[in-house]
Amino acid sequence: MSLIKTDAPGRKLLLMGNEAIARGAIEAGVQVCAAYPGNPSSEIIGSLSQVADELNIYVEWSVNEKVALEVAAAASLAGLRGLAAMKQNGLNVASDFLLNLNLTGTKGGLVVVVCDDPSALSSSNEEDSRAFARLADLPLLEPSGFQEAKEMTRWAFELSEELGVPCLIRSVTRVSHARGNVELGELPREKRLARFDTSKPILPVPVVWTHKLLHEKLQKCKKRFETSGFNLYRGPEKPQLLILTSGAGWMYALEAVSNLGLEDRVGIVKLGTTWPLPEGFLKEQLAKSQKVLFVEEVDPFLEANVKAFAAQVQQEIGPKLFLGKGSGTLPDTGELTPDHLIKLLKEELQVSYEPRPASYIQEALEAASQSAPARTLGFCAGCPHRATYWAVKKALALDGRDGFVLGDIGCYSLGMGPAGFFQMKTLHAMGSGAGLANGFGQLGRFGLDQPVLAVCGDSTFYHAAIPALVNARYNGADFLMLILDNSATAMTGFQPHPGTGKTAMGETVNPIDIEGLCKALGAEVHTVDPFELDRTLEILSGLLQEKKGVRVLVLRQECALVRGKRQGRLFKVWVDQDRCLGLGCGCNRLCTRVFRCPGLVWDASSGKARVDEAICTGCGVCASICPASAILKEAS
Amino acid sequence: MDQNRGLGGLESLVMGQGLCTMCGACAGMCPYLEAFKGRIVKLHDCDLAEGRCYAHCPRTTLDLTALNRNRFGSEEIPVGLGFQNRILMARSLDPELLQRAQTGGVVSSLVVLALEEGLVDAAVLTQRGKDLLPSGRIVTCRDQVLDCAGSSYVASPSLAVLNKGPWNGQERIAVVGVPCQISALEKMKSCNLLQDAPAARRVVVSIGLFCTWALSYAPFIDFLKQKLPSQVVEAMDISPPPERILRVRTPSGTMEISVDEIRPFIQPACAFCADMTSELADLSVGTVEGEPGWNTLILRTQAGESLLEKALAKRLLEVKPLPSAHAEHLVQASMLKKRRALEAMKNVEDKQCGYLLADSRWLERVRLGTEGRQQ
Repeated sequence: MSLIKTDAPGRKLLLMGNEAIARGAIEAGVQVCAAYPGNPSSEIIGSLSQVADELNIYVEWSVNEKVALEVAAAASLAGLRGLAAMKQNGLNVASDFLLNLNLTGTKGGLVVVVCDDPSALSSSNEEDSRAFARLADLPLLEPSGFQEAKEMTRWAFELSEELGVPCLIRSVTRVSHARGNVELGELPREKRLARFDTSKPILPVPVVWTHKLLHEKLQKCKKRFETSGFNLYRGPEKPQLLILTSGAGWMYALEAVSNLGLEDRVGIVKLGTTWPLPEGFLKEQLAKSQKVLFVEEVDPFLEANVKAFAAQVQQEIGPKLFLGKGSGTLPDTGELTPDHLIKLLKEELQVSYEPRPASYIQEALEAASQSAPARTLGFCAGCPHRATYWAVKKALALDGRDGFVLGDIGCYSLGMGPAGFFQMKTLHAMGSGAGLANGFGQLGRFGLDQPVLAVCGDSTFYHAAIPALVNARYNGADFLMLILDNSATAMTGFQPHPGTGKTAMGETVNPIDIEGLCKALGAEVHTVDPFELDRTLEILSGLLQEKKGVRVLVLRQECALVRGKRQGRLFKVWVDQDRCLGLGCGCNRLCTRVFRCPGLVWDASSGKARVDEAICTGCGVCASICPASAILKEAS
Repeated sequence: MDQNRGLGGLESLVMGQGLCTMCGACAGMCPYLEAFKGRIVKLHDCDLAEGRCYAHCPRTTLDLTALNRNRFGSEEIPVGLGFQNRILMARSLDPELLQRAQTGGVVSSLVVLALEEGLVDAAVLTQRGKDLLPSGRIVTCRDQVLDCAGSSYVASPSLAVLNKGPWNGQERIAVVGVPCQISALEKMKSCNLLQDAPAARRVVVSIGLFCTWALSYAPFIDFLKQKLPSQVVEAMDISPPPERILRVRTPSGTMEISVDEIRPFIQPACAFCADMTSELADLSVGTVEGEPGWNTLILRTQAGESLLEKALAKRLLEVKPLPSAHAEHLVQASMLKKRRALEAMKNVEDKQCGYLLADSRWLERVRLGTEGRQQ
């Protein structure tokens, strides 16, 4: 049961940051919510989809972030409140629309939640999406905790509605994915009726005029931010050092100052409204100390903007020593931690503090290495992508022309490492494997004689690969497109997509046929089950030999985790200990050293491989690769 | 013997140096090496310190002294054509075999005889497949032998099927191969890296072919396809010097191609080969220059002699003495190949020159061009 629909004002619930954001949207009366899944943002729409029916709101997993924002914006233009959620990369996809929508303006409250991923824990970049707020002249809010995440979201709808522009909320992993107590507010009792006013076209033209209007809205926003309760100061009247922070930095600053007992010497300014800057409030805070330290993730966004403002009002606030990323005091990449601040404050303020013995980290690492199995980042046991890359590796080796695979974002991105036998050679944006293949596929005329392959998942296919395939057909690019259809948006948590036949709200719909779509483009299309290694190799080898534009191979096999939940193991798999060659010439641990499915383990004492029954999902692929036919399988 | 360095050593010392002869002795045993379309393909890294791939390879170390000692029981290796009992001219008396054979049908006749007389249960031969791709084939009857008649002049990894089988573990086997394959076969027989005895130890007779070089498959087939678009090649033959013409027979006629045109496709490894007549075989078979339809037959061991005796008794072959001028010419050609190989090894510093181990007398005689004593 989802907690976020609980109708009990005043009650405190333990909510994940993303659930708090979803709850804030519900309390604000949101009626339309859309997103493309992407960590760390996925649970916002995920949790809303679970309560959609009961609360009578519309929730969808859109095909990509731009469409998601357009769906939410339509609600706004019809007078309703809309929410779009995405990860930082997603805002790039949606930005083309966003940078027109800012000029046309909105009606009903429209909130765009962007969850950034400092340190790129589950991303291909660690882009700081706050830059878009400046670029688009739009208000930006940054929650620092769970209660605030909910309150800020609710308020963002009001602000958006008041100003007539979308309001951006920027979260980060440590806010979105951590949990804390959230006190619930009232649930709305009324629904708005949707109506599009045809007498007032929504156009960004004349652009200079709408741009000017947007700037006026921003000025109005600035005034509202001056009095916002999301901006606060905690500390002495005249601190030796003033920390200026936003987002998760607030928690790190509080912890560091508290651990060091510096409450009387260090002041902390927490900004919740980070664009446009609340200048009056800031001027007052900056006057408190000559030394200012910026604590923020990832880019020096506040730092640059505040420094520019400080230069403007230098005569009033006096000269400052600014510390932060610009001064090299704090790292300008990756997540921050309280330790970063503790180390810095100790040196700046000459205090001694030893949180733990110097040897602690080393001892902890040693202890962990003894109890945790040595595993690299890899595919799950029974993952069809392992079988696919195994066949791709062999096909390319046999082909002998140094062919290469261009990839993008999904579980199959692990094809860049040992799990996928280092087969994937590029990793950029959604659909970029197919896009790059369009370019590489034209370089034959300049001497490129290597086979070009692109890989994308089923969800990525709908998200961004289709235009690349259209382009390939139109311009005659020569490459082999591999669509790894595991019937799930597996990496982000098994959200449904157009090929699964289910919607976010659980409706059954006709799945959109990947092969049919590709055939309609005029591409040669084949389908194979990657678990059938020999057949896959045969088809791959044949398609590599063909030199006639874009060819599509759909490798279809359900995600092992989805299948495991649905039907359990396909096969009972075991290793015949007498036949296993182990380290002998002719095998040399092919299954546990090269194939490396975590369901197979090497027993050093017996010098044989065995199946870990707790992990094996029974795909049976290892039985086809064992050179001694020692891995046996039986339908279960 | 040098130290076995596993697949890594094979890669760096042989494959990476252009010394691989494509004999197939390293393939068909493990999931790491596969013979595919004229190449030995490494599919994955293998970090074993020692491997059969390294042990079998005729270009890791070829200890001529030890191999000849094991095979013929003598410390001294005759330089010209290796050990031999006698040298003859021969041809098949079987019209069907003669018609299908490259030259005199001697090899096909002897293999058919060995199979039909139960001297062996199977033979490893080389068959031309689709697009002239040659590969090893295990044959057990006359028709299958006939399928393998004729040459494509392309290197074939035929020994991979000797490694791979399928075998039931009891068969007596005959092997027909070119010199690098016959050398590898002797190394395979003595390899003891696995407890199970390899199939190579059940080889009871080896028939070596004369060879001056072999072509690399991929570039040669591309060349032929350009020359003969959409044509089925029925047979190929190279005429001896001074003519040196490759005749390619197709349903629409025979095309003549100068051997100079195909020289660029000769395997680089062949330049380092010092064996023209398969000196470690039980018997060796080649052509006789100026005598079309006749084979040269060098008998080296008792196994070879007894196979010939049976063939003669059954009137499957006819033989006659090889004129001394022909024999002398053969020795000179063989010596020339040896000398060129030693020169090539000396001249190219980045090659692993030391694959050939032989005593100093043998080396000296090759350099001076003086033949050693015959047995």
